[in-house]
Amino acid sequence: MHSHRSLVIAAACVALAAFVPRAALAADNPRGAELFELCTQCHGAAGEGNPMALAPSIAALPEWYVLNQLNHFRTGARGTHPEDVGGLRMYPMAMTLKTDEDTKAVAAYVAGLPPVRQTQTLSGGDPARGAQLYAVCTQCHGPNGAGNPAMQSPPIAGQADWYLLSSLQKFKAGTRGTYPNAAIMRGMAGTLPDEQAMKDVIAHILTLNANTAANAAQ
Amino acid sequence: MIEILGLPAASTFADDIDRVFTIIFVAVGFWFLLAEGVFFWLIFRFKKKDGVKAQYITGELKSEKRWITVPHNIILLFDIVIVVAAVQVWYDVKQDLPEEPDKQVVRVIAQQWAWTFVHPGPDGKLDTPDDIAKVNEMHVQADRLHHFQLESKDVIHSFSVPVFRLKQDVIPGRVITGWFTPTKTGTYDIQCTEICGVGHALMPAKIVIQTAAEHAEWVAKNSSVAVASAALR
Repeated sequence: MHSHRSLVIAAACVALAAFVPRAALAADNPRGAELFELCTQCHGAAGEGNPMALAPSIAALPEWYVLNQLNHFRTGARGTHPEDVGGLRMYPMAMTLKTDEDTKAVAAYVAGLPPVRQTQTLSGGDPARGAQLYAVCTQCHGPNGAGNPAMQSPPIAGQADWYLLSSLQKFKAGTRGTYPNAAIMRGMAGTLPDEQAMKDVIAHILTLNANTAANAAQ
Repeated sequence: MIEILGLPAASTFADDIDRVFTIIFVAVGFWFLLAEGVFFWLIFRFKKKDGVKAQYITGELKSEKRWITVPHNIILLFDIVIVVAAVQVWYDVKQDLPEEPDKQVVRVIAQQWAWTFVHPGPDGKLDTPDDIAKVNEMHVQADRLHHFQLESKDVIHSFSVPVFRLKQDVIPGRVITGWFTPTKTGTYDIQCTEICGVGHALMPAKIVIQTAAEHAEWVAKNSSVAVASAALR
Protein backbone atom coordinates (compact mmCIF):
# COMPACT_ATOMS: atom_id res chain seq x y z
CA MET A 1 0.00 0.00 0.00
CA HIS A 2 2.82 2.29 1.02
CA SER A 3 4.72 1.49 -2.17
CA HIS A 4 1.59 2.26 -4.25
CA ARG A 5 1.33 5.67 -2.62
CA SER A 6 5.00 6.32 -3.35
CA LEU A 7 4.50 5.34 -6.99
CA VAL A 8 1.53 7.67 -7.34
CA ILE A 9 3.45 10.55 -5.75
CA ALA A 10 6.46 9.87 -7.96
CA ALA A 11 4.27 9.76 -11.10
CA ALA A 12 2.57 13.00 -10.07
CA CYS A 13 5.96 14.64 -9.55
CA VAL A 14 7.15 13.53 -13.00
CA ALA A 15 3.93 14.79 -14.62
CA LEU A 16 4.21 18.06 -12.73
CA ALA A 17 7.87 18.43 -13.65
CA ALA A 18 6.95 18.03 -17.32
CA PHE A 19 3.92 20.29 -17.07
CA VAL A 20 5.35 23.24 -15.15
CA PRO A 21 8.04 24.23 -17.70
CA ARG A 22 5.51 23.91 -20.53
CA ALA A 23 2.97 26.05 -18.67
CA ALA A 24 5.62 28.75 -18.19
CA LEU A 25 6.65 28.40 -21.83
CA ALA A 26 3.04 28.78 -22.97
CA ALA A 27 2.64 31.88 -20.85
CA ASP A 28 5.70 33.43 -22.52
CA ASN A 29 4.78 32.29 -26.01
CA PRO A 30 1.00 31.70 -26.26
CA ARG A 31 0.96 31.72 -30.07
CA GLY A 32 3.73 29.13 -30.19
CA ALA A 33 1.87 26.98 -27.65
CA GLU A 34 -1.32 27.23 -29.69
CA LEU A 35 0.43 26.22 -32.92
CA PHE A 36 2.30 23.41 -31.16
CA GLU A 37 -1.02 21.67 -30.45
CA LEU A 38 -1.04 20.30 -34.01
CA CYS A 39 2.55 19.07 -33.65
CA THR A 40 1.61 17.03 -30.58
CA GLN A 41 -0.48 14.70 -32.77
CA CYS A 42 2.73 13.03 -33.97
CA HIS A 43 5.62 14.46 -31.94
CA GLY A 44 3.87 14.06 -28.59
CA ALA A 45 2.77 16.53 -25.94
CA ALA A 46 6.34 17.00 -24.71
CA GLY A 47 7.89 16.87 -28.20
CA GLU A 48 9.36 13.50 -27.24
CA GLY A 49 8.80 11.96 -30.69
CA ASN A 50 7.05 8.79 -31.77
CA PRO A 51 8.74 6.23 -34.01
CA MET A 52 5.34 4.72 -34.91
CA ALA A 53 4.41 8.06 -36.48
CA LEU A 54 7.93 8.52 -37.93
CA ALA A 55 8.09 11.67 -35.83
CA PRO A 56 11.45 12.42 -34.21
CA SER A 57 12.06 14.04 -30.86
CA ILE A 58 12.03 17.80 -31.34
CA ALA A 59 12.06 18.99 -27.72
CA ALA A 60 14.97 21.32 -26.98
CA LEU A 61 16.29 21.38 -30.54
CA PRO A 62 17.91 24.75 -31.25
CA GLU A 63 15.48 27.40 -32.42
CA TRP A 64 17.54 28.24 -35.53
CA TYR A 65 17.48 24.57 -36.60
CA VAL A 66 13.74 24.09 -36.08
CA LEU A 67 13.09 27.33 -37.95
CA ASN A 68 15.32 26.28 -40.85
CA GLN A 69 13.70 22.88 -41.14
CA LEU A 70 10.18 24.28 -40.95
CA ASN A 71 11.05 26.71 -43.72
CA HIS A 72 12.54 23.89 -45.79
CA PHE A 73 9.27 22.01 -45.40
CA ARG A 74 7.23 25.13 -46.18
CA THR A 75 9.14 25.78 -49.41
CA GLY A 76 9.15 22.13 -50.44
CA ALA A 77 12.93 21.85 -50.13
CA ARG A 78 12.26 19.00 -47.72
CA GLY A 79 9.41 16.52 -47.44
CA THR A 80 8.49 16.34 -51.12
CA HIS A 81 10.46 13.30 -52.23
CA PRO A 82 8.19 10.32 -53.05
CA GLU A 83 10.34 7.99 -50.94
CA ASP A 84 10.53 10.23 -47.87
CA VAL A 85 7.46 8.89 -46.07
CA GLY A 86 8.02 10.78 -42.81
CA GLY A 87 8.87 13.98 -44.67
CA LEU A 88 5.71 13.72 -46.74
CA ARG A 89 3.75 13.62 -43.49
CA MET A 90 5.48 16.73 -42.20
CA TYR A 91 5.25 18.73 -45.44
CA PRO A 92 1.49 19.43 -45.28
CA MET A 93 1.73 20.11 -41.54
CA ALA A 94 4.33 22.83 -42.16
CA MET A 95 2.07 24.31 -44.82
CA THR A 96 -0.39 25.18 -42.05
CA LEU A 97 2.13 27.80 -40.87
CA LYS A 98 0.94 30.70 -42.98
CA THR A 99 3.31 33.41 -41.78
CA ASP A 100 6.97 33.76 -40.86
CA GLU A 101 5.89 35.06 -37.45
CA ASP A 102 3.94 31.88 -36.73
CA THR A 103 6.88 29.75 -37.87
CA LYS A 104 9.21 31.65 -35.52
CA ALA A 105 6.72 31.36 -32.66
CA VAL A 106 6.39 27.57 -32.90
CA ALA A 107 10.15 27.15 -33.42
CA ALA A 108 10.80 29.17 -30.25
CA TYR A 109 8.25 27.09 -28.35
CA VAL A 110 9.81 23.79 -29.48
CA ALA A 111 13.28 25.04 -28.60
CA GLY A 112 12.08 25.90 -25.10
CA LEU A 113 10.72 22.42 -24.35
CA PRO A 114 12.81 20.42 -21.86
CA PRO A 115 14.88 17.66 -23.53
CA VAL A 116 13.42 14.16 -23.39
CA ARG A 117 15.73 11.18 -22.93
CA GLN A 118 15.32 8.75 -25.84
CA THR A 119 14.93 4.99 -25.55
CA GLN A 120 17.42 2.88 -27.48
CA THR A 121 15.72 0.92 -30.27
CA LEU A 122 18.66 -0.26 -32.42
CA SER A 123 21.03 -3.08 -31.63
CA GLY A 124 24.11 -4.58 -33.22
CA GLY A 125 26.10 -1.35 -33.53
CA ASP A 126 29.80 -1.34 -32.65
CA PRO A 127 30.60 1.95 -30.85
CA ALA A 128 34.37 1.42 -31.17
CA ARG A 129 34.17 1.15 -34.97
CA GLY A 130 31.56 3.90 -34.91
CA ALA A 131 34.01 6.22 -33.11
CA GLN A 132 36.41 5.84 -36.03
CA LEU A 133 33.68 6.46 -38.59
CA TYR A 134 32.48 9.45 -36.57
CA ALA A 135 35.76 11.28 -37.19
CA VAL A 136 34.37 12.81 -40.37
CA CYS A 137 31.20 13.95 -38.53
CA THR A 138 33.18 15.94 -35.96
CA GLN A 139 34.03 18.55 -38.60
CA CYS A 140 30.48 19.92 -38.42
CA HIS A 141 28.68 18.24 -35.52
CA GLY A 142 31.59 18.50 -33.10
CA PRO A 143 33.34 15.75 -31.11
CA ASN A 144 30.48 15.60 -28.60
CA GLY A 145 27.69 15.82 -31.21
CA ALA A 146 26.53 19.19 -29.90
CA GLY A 147 26.28 20.70 -33.38
CA ASN A 148 27.54 24.00 -34.70
CA PRO A 149 25.12 26.83 -35.55
CA ALA A 150 27.79 28.60 -37.63
CA MET A 151 27.78 25.62 -40.00
CA GLN A 152 24.04 25.02 -39.65
CA SER A 153 24.82 21.62 -38.16
CA PRO A 154 22.26 20.47 -35.61
CA PRO A 155 23.03 18.61 -32.40
CA ILE A 156 22.84 14.85 -32.93
CA ALA A 157 23.68 13.71 -29.39
CA GLY A 158 20.39 13.05 -27.65
CA GLN A 159 18.42 12.35 -30.82
CA ALA A 160 16.58 9.01 -31.19
CA ASP A 161 18.68 6.27 -32.78
CA TRP A 162 15.93 5.20 -35.22
CA TYR A 163 15.69 8.76 -36.52
CA LEU A 164 19.45 9.07 -36.94
CA LEU A 165 19.43 5.85 -38.97
CA SER A 166 16.50 6.91 -41.16
CA SER A 167 18.09 10.33 -41.70
CA LEU A 168 21.43 8.83 -42.73
CA GLN A 169 19.61 6.48 -45.12
CA LYS A 170 17.65 9.37 -46.62
CA PHE A 171 20.72 11.59 -46.94
CA LYS A 172 22.61 8.80 -48.67
CA ALA A 173 19.71 8.01 -51.03
CA GLY A 174 19.24 11.69 -51.84
CA THR A 175 15.66 11.69 -50.64
CA ARG A 176 16.03 13.96 -47.60
CA GLY A 177 15.64 17.23 -49.49
CA THR A 178 17.10 19.73 -51.91
CA TYR A 179 18.42 22.30 -49.42
CA PRO A 180 22.21 22.94 -49.44
CA ASN A 181 23.07 21.07 -46.24
CA ALA A 182 21.22 17.99 -47.51
CA ALA A 183 23.62 17.91 -50.45
CA ILE A 184 26.59 18.17 -48.06
CA MET A 185 25.19 15.42 -45.85
CA ARG A 186 24.62 13.23 -48.90
CA GLY A 187 28.35 13.23 -49.45
CA MET A 188 29.07 12.62 -45.77
CA ALA A 189 26.55 9.78 -45.50
CA GLY A 190 28.15 8.32 -48.61
CA THR A 191 31.28 7.64 -46.55
CA LEU A 192 29.27 5.04 -44.62
CA PRO A 193 29.34 2.00 -46.90
CA ASP A 194 26.34 0.12 -45.50
CA GLU A 195 23.66 -0.01 -42.81
CA GLN A 196 26.03 -1.71 -40.37
CA ALA A 197 28.39 1.25 -40.62
CA MET A 198 25.46 3.56 -39.93
CA LYS A 199 24.49 1.52 -36.87
CA ASP A 200 28.10 1.62 -35.68
CA VAL A 201 28.33 5.38 -35.91
CA ILE A 202 24.94 5.73 -34.22
CA ALA A 203 26.12 3.40 -31.43
CA HIS A 204 28.98 5.87 -30.89
CA ILE A 205 26.57 8.83 -30.92
CA LEU A 206 24.54 7.06 -28.21
CA THR A 207 27.65 7.06 -26.00
CA LEU A 208 27.77 10.82 -26.56
CA ASN A 209 24.18 10.93 -25.34
CA ALA A 210 25.25 9.15 -22.17
CA ASN A 211 28.17 11.52 -21.72
CA THR A 212 25.93 14.51 -22.31
CA ALA A 213 23.48 13.23 -19.70
CA ALA A 214 26.32 12.60 -17.26
CA ASN A 215 27.64 16.11 -17.82
CA ALA A 216 24.21 17.57 -17.33
CA ALA A 217 23.83 15.67 -14.07
CA GLN A 218 27.08 17.07 -12.69
CA MET B 1 -26.84 18.84 -63.63
CA ILE B 2 -23.67 18.84 -61.49
CA GLU B 3 -21.96 20.77 -64.30
CA ILE B 4 -24.53 23.55 -63.85
CA LEU B 5 -23.33 23.80 -60.24
CA GLY B 6 -19.82 24.50 -61.51
CA LEU B 7 -18.06 21.13 -61.54
CA PRO B 8 -17.02 20.13 -65.08
CA ALA B 9 -17.51 16.57 -66.29
CA ALA B 10 -14.12 15.47 -67.60
CA SER B 11 -14.30 11.70 -68.04
CA THR B 12 -16.20 9.40 -70.37
CA PHE B 13 -18.38 8.11 -67.54
CA ALA B 14 -18.96 11.42 -65.74
CA ASP B 15 -22.15 12.14 -67.70
CA ASP B 16 -23.54 8.68 -66.87
CA ILE B 17 -22.97 9.26 -63.16
CA ASP B 18 -24.48 12.74 -63.42
CA ARG B 19 -27.54 11.17 -65.04
CA VAL B 20 -28.02 8.81 -62.08
CA PHE B 21 -27.50 11.76 -59.75
CA THR B 22 -30.18 13.71 -61.61
CA ILE B 23 -32.64 10.79 -61.50
CA ILE B 24 -32.11 10.46 -57.74
CA PHE B 25 -32.34 14.21 -57.22
CA VAL B 26 -35.60 14.51 -59.18
CA ALA B 27 -37.18 11.41 -57.60
CA VAL B 28 -36.25 12.37 -54.05
CA GLY B 29 -36.96 16.05 -54.67
CA PHE B 30 -40.44 15.27 -56.04
CA TRP B 31 -41.40 13.23 -52.97
CA PHE B 32 -39.84 15.73 -50.61
CA LEU B 33 -41.85 18.62 -52.05
CA LEU B 34 -45.05 16.53 -52.25
CA ALA B 35 -44.68 15.26 -48.66
CA GLU B 36 -43.95 18.74 -47.33
CA GLY B 37 -46.90 20.13 -49.31
CA VAL B 38 -49.30 17.54 -47.88
CA PHE B 39 -47.84 18.04 -44.42
CA PHE B 40 -48.43 21.81 -44.43
CA TRP B 41 -51.85 21.42 -46.12
CA LEU B 42 -52.92 19.09 -43.31
CA ILE B 43 -51.62 21.51 -40.67
CA PHE B 44 -53.61 24.42 -42.07
CA ARG B 45 -56.65 22.39 -43.19
CA PHE B 46 -57.14 20.80 -39.78
CA LYS B 47 -55.90 23.57 -37.52
CA LYS B 48 -57.65 24.23 -34.20
CA LYS B 49 -61.28 25.37 -34.57
CA ASP B 50 -63.64 26.51 -31.84
CA GLY B 51 -66.15 23.85 -30.91
CA VAL B 52 -64.42 21.05 -32.83
CA LYS B 53 -62.82 18.34 -30.74
CA ALA B 54 -59.59 16.71 -31.98
CA GLN B 55 -59.88 13.07 -33.07
CA TYR B 56 -57.47 10.29 -32.32
CA ILE B 57 -56.87 8.41 -35.59
CA THR B 58 -55.44 4.91 -35.29
CA GLY B 59 -54.69 4.54 -39.02
CA GLU B 60 -56.44 1.16 -39.24
CA LEU B 61 -59.11 2.09 -41.79
CA LYS B 62 -58.37 1.29 -45.41
CA SER B 63 -59.04 4.92 -46.41
CA GLU B 64 -56.42 6.02 -43.85
CA LYS B 65 -53.85 3.36 -44.68
CA ARG B 66 -54.02 4.41 -48.33
CA TRP B 67 -52.07 7.55 -47.38
CA ILE B 68 -49.13 5.25 -46.63
CA THR B 69 -49.51 2.33 -49.02
CA VAL B 70 -50.04 4.28 -52.25
CA PRO B 71 -46.96 6.53 -51.88
CA HIS B 72 -45.00 3.54 -50.57
CA ASN B 73 -45.69 1.49 -53.70
CA ILE B 74 -44.94 4.40 -56.00
CA ILE B 75 -41.64 5.03 -54.15
CA LEU B 76 -40.76 1.35 -54.63
CA LEU B 77 -41.24 1.86 -58.38
CA PHE B 78 -38.95 4.89 -58.20
CA ASP B 79 -36.38 2.79 -56.32
CA ILE B 80 -36.44 0.18 -59.07
CA VAL B 81 -35.78 2.90 -61.65
CA ILE B 82 -32.86 4.23 -59.56
CA VAL B 83 -31.39 0.76 -58.98
CA VAL B 84 -31.59 -0.19 -62.67
CA ALA B 85 -29.92 3.08 -63.72
CA ALA B 86 -27.24 2.82 -61.00
CA VAL B 87 -26.37 -0.84 -61.57
CA GLN B 88 -25.74 -0.20 -65.26
CA VAL B 89 -23.36 2.67 -64.43
CA TRP B 90 -21.76 0.70 -61.58
CA TYR B 91 -21.02 -2.15 -63.95
CA ASP B 92 -19.51 0.15 -66.57
CA VAL B 93 -17.34 2.10 -64.11
CA LYS B 94 -16.41 -0.44 -61.43
CA GLN B 95 -16.97 -3.97 -62.72
CA ASP B 96 -15.70 -3.55 -66.26
CA LEU B 97 -12.03 -2.81 -66.98
CA PRO B 98 -11.77 -1.68 -70.60
CA GLU B 99 -8.64 -2.60 -72.52
CA GLU B 100 -7.01 -0.67 -75.34
CA PRO B 101 -3.59 -1.23 -76.92
CA ASP B 102 -2.30 2.25 -76.09
CA LYS B 103 -3.66 2.43 -72.54
CA GLN B 104 -1.51 4.21 -69.95
CA VAL B 105 -0.99 2.68 -66.49
CA VAL B 106 -0.34 5.04 -63.56
CA ARG B 107 0.46 3.88 -60.05
CA VAL B 108 -1.19 5.95 -57.32
CA ILE B 109 0.37 5.59 -53.87
CA ALA B 110 -1.44 7.12 -50.93
CA GLN B 111 0.11 7.83 -47.56
CA GLN B 112 -0.45 10.12 -44.62
CA TRP B 113 -0.68 12.83 -46.05
CA ALA B 114 0.39 12.90 -49.64
CA TRP B 115 -0.15 11.24 -52.99
CA THR B 116 2.67 9.85 -55.09
CA PHE B 117 1.93 9.27 -58.76
CA VAL B 118 4.29 7.02 -60.68
CA HIS B 119 3.94 7.61 -64.41
CA PRO B 120 5.60 5.50 -67.10
CA GLY B 121 8.38 7.17 -69.03
CA PRO B 122 8.85 7.14 -72.82
CA ASP B 123 8.94 3.33 -72.83
CA GLY B 124 5.32 3.33 -71.67
CA LYS B 125 6.04 0.79 -68.92
CA LEU B 126 6.10 1.03 -65.16
CA ASP B 127 8.97 -0.22 -62.98
CA THR B 128 11.68 0.85 -65.40
CA PRO B 129 14.36 3.51 -64.75
CA ASP B 130 12.56 6.19 -66.76
CA ASP B 131 9.48 6.13 -64.50
CA ILE B 132 8.36 9.59 -63.41
CA ALA B 133 7.35 9.84 -59.74
CA LYS B 134 5.58 13.02 -58.74
CA VAL B 135 4.21 14.05 -55.38
CA ASN B 136 0.70 15.53 -55.37
CA GLU B 137 0.76 15.98 -59.16
CA MET B 138 -0.71 13.51 -61.64
CA HIS B 139 -0.30 13.95 -65.38
CA VAL B 140 -2.60 12.22 -67.85
CA GLN B 141 -3.48 12.52 -71.49
CA ALA B 142 -6.91 13.52 -72.76
CA ASP B 143 -8.89 10.99 -74.79
CA ARG B 144 -6.65 8.11 -73.75
CA LEU B 145 -7.63 5.16 -71.58
CA HIS B 146 -5.79 5.10 -68.24
CA HIS B 147 -5.64 2.31 -65.72
CA PHE B 148 -4.71 3.33 -62.19
CA GLN B 149 -3.25 1.03 -59.55
CA LEU B 150 -4.06 2.20 -56.04
CA GLU B 151 -1.76 1.38 -53.15
CA SER B 152 -1.53 2.65 -49.58
CA LYS B 153 1.57 2.83 -47.41
CA ASP B 154 -0.30 3.14 -44.14
CA VAL B 155 -4.05 3.51 -43.58
CA ILE B 156 -7.23 3.54 -45.67
CA HIS B 157 -7.46 6.51 -48.04
CA SER B 158 -9.87 7.26 -50.87
CA PHE B 159 -8.81 8.45 -54.31
CA SER B 160 -11.31 10.99 -55.54
CA VAL B 161 -11.23 13.00 -58.75
CA PRO B 162 -14.43 15.06 -58.68
CA VAL B 163 -14.32 16.10 -62.35
CA PHE B 164 -14.19 12.42 -63.31
CA ARG B 165 -16.95 11.60 -60.77
CA LEU B 166 -14.46 8.97 -59.61
CA LYS B 167 -13.97 7.76 -56.05
CA GLN B 168 -12.24 4.58 -54.95
CA ASP B 169 -11.00 3.49 -51.52
CA VAL B 170 -7.30 2.70 -51.17
CA ILE B 171 -6.68 -0.27 -48.88
CA PRO B 172 -3.29 -1.07 -47.30
CA GLY B 173 -1.94 -4.40 -48.55
CA ARG B 174 -4.03 -4.41 -51.70
CA VAL B 175 -3.53 -3.13 -55.23
CA ILE B 176 -6.86 -1.88 -56.56
CA THR B 177 -7.09 -1.26 -60.28
CA GLY B 178 -9.55 1.10 -61.91
CA TRP B 179 -9.84 3.14 -65.06
CA PHE B 180 -10.79 6.46 -66.59
CA THR B 181 -10.56 8.23 -69.91
CA PRO B 182 -10.21 12.01 -69.54
CA THR B 183 -12.19 14.09 -72.00
CA LYS B 184 -11.17 17.66 -71.15
CA THR B 185 -7.78 19.27 -70.78
CA GLY B 186 -7.03 21.40 -67.73
CA THR B 187 -5.88 21.19 -64.11
CA TYR B 188 -8.32 19.81 -61.57
CA ASP B 189 -8.46 18.68 -57.94
CA ILE B 190 -7.69 15.29 -56.46
CA GLN B 191 -8.92 14.70 -52.92
CA CYS B 192 -8.68 12.09 -50.22
CA THR B 193 -12.26 11.30 -49.25
CA GLU B 194 -11.60 8.93 -46.36
CA ILE B 195 -10.64 10.40 -42.98
CA CYS B 196 -7.02 9.25 -42.71
CA GLY B 197 -5.59 11.14 -39.75
CA VAL B 198 -4.93 14.64 -38.50
CA GLY B 199 -3.57 15.77 -41.89
CA HIS B 200 -6.46 14.36 -43.94
CA ALA B 201 -7.62 17.78 -45.05
CA LEU B 202 -4.06 18.72 -46.00
CA MET B 203 -3.50 16.19 -48.77
CA PRO B 204 -5.00 17.73 -51.87
CA ALA B 205 -3.32 17.01 -55.18
CA LYS B 206 -3.75 18.12 -58.78
CA ILE B 207 -4.49 16.20 -61.93
CA VAL B 208 -3.15 17.80 -65.09
CA ILE B 209 -4.95 16.63 -68.23
CA GLN B 210 -2.88 17.41 -71.31
CA THR B 211 -3.17 17.01 -75.06
CA ALA B 212 -1.14 14.18 -76.60
CA ALA B 213 1.60 16.59 -77.70
CA GLU B 214 1.78 18.36 -74.32
CA HIS B 215 1.88 15.06 -72.48
CA ALA B 216 4.64 13.65 -74.70
CA GLU B 217 6.67 16.81 -74.08
CA TRP B 218 6.12 16.52 -70.32
CA VAL B 219 7.14 12.85 -70.32
CA ALA B 220 10.29 13.54 -72.33
CA LYS B 221 11.32 16.41 -70.07
CA ASN B 222 10.67 14.65 -66.77
CA SER B 223 11.89 11.18 -67.66
CA SER B 224 15.38 12.52 -68.37
CA VAL B 225 15.42 13.93 -64.83
CA ALA B 226 14.20 10.60 -63.49
CA VAL B 227 16.88 8.68 -65.35
CA ALA B 228 19.63 11.06 -64.16
CA SER B 229 18.39 10.81 -60.58
CA ALA B 230 18.35 7.00 -60.75
CA ALA B 231 21.89 6.99 -62.12
CA LEU B 232 23.12 8.99 -59.11
CA ARG B 233 21.94 6.32 -56.68
